[in-house]
Amino acid sequence: MNFHVNPRLLFGTAFGVFVILTLMIAVLPAIQIQQTPATPGLEPLSERAARGRDIYVREGCSYCHSQQVRPLPQDELFGRPSAPGDYVYETPQLLGTARTGPDLSNIGNRQPSDIWHLIHLYNPRALVQGSVMPAYWWYFRKKDRADADDVVVPVPGSSAPKGKVVVATPEALALVEYLHSLKQPPLEVPASGEEQGEASKQ
Amino acid sequence: MGSPAIGKVRIEEIIGEDPALVRLIYKYLVWATVWLIFATALGLLLSLKLSYPDLLDFSFTSYGRVRPIHTNALFWGWTSMAMVALCLFVVPRTSRTQLHSLTLARVALWMWNVAVAAGTVALAMGINNGDQEYREYVWPIMAIFAAGMLVHLYNFLCTVREREIEEIYISNWYIIAALIWTTTLVTVGYLPWYQHGLAQANIQGYYMHQGVGMWFTPVVLGLTYYFLPKFLNRPIYSYSLGVLAFWTQLVFYTLIGAHHFIFSAIPWWIQTIAIVFSVGMMVPVWAGTGNFILTMRGKWRTIGRSYSLPFILAGAVCYGLVSTQGTFESFRWTNLYWHFTNFTIGHSHFTMYGFVAFLIWGGVYGLLPRLTGREPSIVAVGVHFWFSMIGMGIYVVALSIGGTIQGTDWVRLRPFIDSVTDMAPYWLWRSVGGTLMFLSHVIFAYNLYKMRPRALGEAVPEVARA
Repeated sequence: MNFHVNPRLLFGTAFGVFVILTLMIAVLPAIQIQQTPATPGLEPLSERAARGRDIYVREGCSYCHSQQVRPLPQDELFGRPSAPGDYVYETPQLLGTARTGPDLSNIGNRQPSDIWHLIHLYNPRALVQGSVMPAYWWYFRKKDRADADDVVVPVPGSSAPKGKVVVATPEALALVEYLHSLKQPPLEVPASGEEQGEASKQ
Repeated sequence: MGSPAIGKVRIEEIIGEDPALVRLIYKYLVWATVWLIFATALGLLLSLKLSYPDLLDFSFTSYGRVRPIHTNALFWGWTSMAMVALCLFVVPRTSRTQLHSLTLARVALWMWNVAVAAGTVALAMGINNGDQEYREYVWPIMAIFAAGMLVHLYNFLCTVREREIEEIYISNWYIIAALIWTTTLVTVGYLPWYQHGLAQANIQGYYMHQGVGMWFTPVVLGLTYYFLPKFLNRPIYSYSLGVLAFWTQLVFYTLIGAHHFIFSAIPWWIQTIAIVFSVGMMVPVWAGTGNFILTMRGKWRTIGRSYSLPFILAGAVCYGLVSTQGTFESFRWTNLYWHFTNFTIGHSHFTMYGFVAFLIWGGVYGLLPRLTGREPSIVAVGVHFWFSMIGMGIYVVALSIGGTIQGTDWVRLRPFIDSVTDMAPYWLWRSVGGTLMFLSHVIFAYNLYKMRPRALGEAVPEVARA
């Protein structure tokens, strides 16, 4: 029994201890966590919102926008503290580790306007001075005139292309539908500073 | 030529190594440096985008797509390849034998290059495994990378089994264990069955943290346990401290991933364990740093006159400092201010650059001239060192101050946009630091060229003494 001369023993132990600790701290807790039932009032994503979520993942939105509200005073503006049941329909997880932009856990309640989101996605600086968010112009089309079924984005002032109208693509609309779906259903004992969402539609 | 003002000494020995191995090591270093320059150019672009958000605003160069390209190419391209380049020498040398198979090592290099290239293209196209740090490559791509790791593991295990010395030297403990831990880690990180919803965030904390600490940390520590005594020509201060650090690293580090999710909905007990063992990490960290510093004691003149040892000194000091900083960042009260801010980005660069990259550079500048008989310009190495050091200093200080201001703005309940506009000068300073860092990599590439192996049949000259 000598770690210094027996590679099988040395590396076998290093592997074994790592596997045991991995099971204890990562895998077994994960199995337990994913048995959490959904928060009452939480709805699965619509097909279009799910497509929007895929775009959110594709564009790496969660490198700057978290989706986890902490039980802290400075987080109250983002919603109530996040509960494990809030994430039941959220795979891949989008909790994020940075807030270069604001938390979006409850953005569906905090900013319910379609038009606001569309303009903001087309050019964030048209609405928020000082924003450093990328402009996602590739989810929009510039046209001479809009067709009957087009969703026209009323881009204000100097951000608007001259002599053209900006039209949202289905992808932009899906992304906005996803942002609308981000609504925290109220918990039974609401945390302070929380706005009542339209949780119980049925 | 020489540079009397600096008073650096030239190498005094040539290691007679198999030319085929030397060429392979060099090939690894060249590819590593290609990824380094590519990925840090993108890093600079990302940094500038925070000051000029509409810079290069194509979909495939947008912030959210380039960020994972930058991090993954530096992890799996530059750092992994450069570390393994040095391992290809250290593992056989400390086992007093030949590398088990050059062919396997050659194959693994191409597996890694294919994986990083494919991963880069996929991420630019928006194909990813979720925005989950360091596991953004989709599984078929990461599987190629992991297979490359297994090839190295097998190759090094065989080399150690064929050793012509009784004991397994401590470097090989760290290097081979790191390969075992990281292949396990990648497997756990990519298997889907326990990764729905919040459960996946728990795995993410475990994965992202150990992607750094069970791969880069043990490998560069293992390399330093060889290079530092070798270049100083004296034994390591305490072999037992190295052993202690090895086991405590394994037990403590594995448990602390959740400190990236303090105050989240992940079970409170997991967060608490993560904080407790983050404090425990002071044991392996200071056992390692202390061991290196004590090995250097009284040899400061040798270090001052060497062009490789200052990199190792800087790396060892950064290891102690950045890990202590990491422990402080894990507390709940520090999370009140620093969580979600750019302070964390400063910390991660302090780690991967100040600690990991500096130790790699120390090894490269110390080893390669001894293998090829060709030395870089001492002035150019000095410029590399100071550009890297000053650049990183500016980078880390700017983001540490800026990050603290960000966090304070939130605590003071200022409008959110204030935390963005307040960062503007610090983001600009970060770009200044990043520019210096990037330039230092171009100089490193030039130095690497100067240290290139001789063509087959070209005679190795006697070493010229300074």
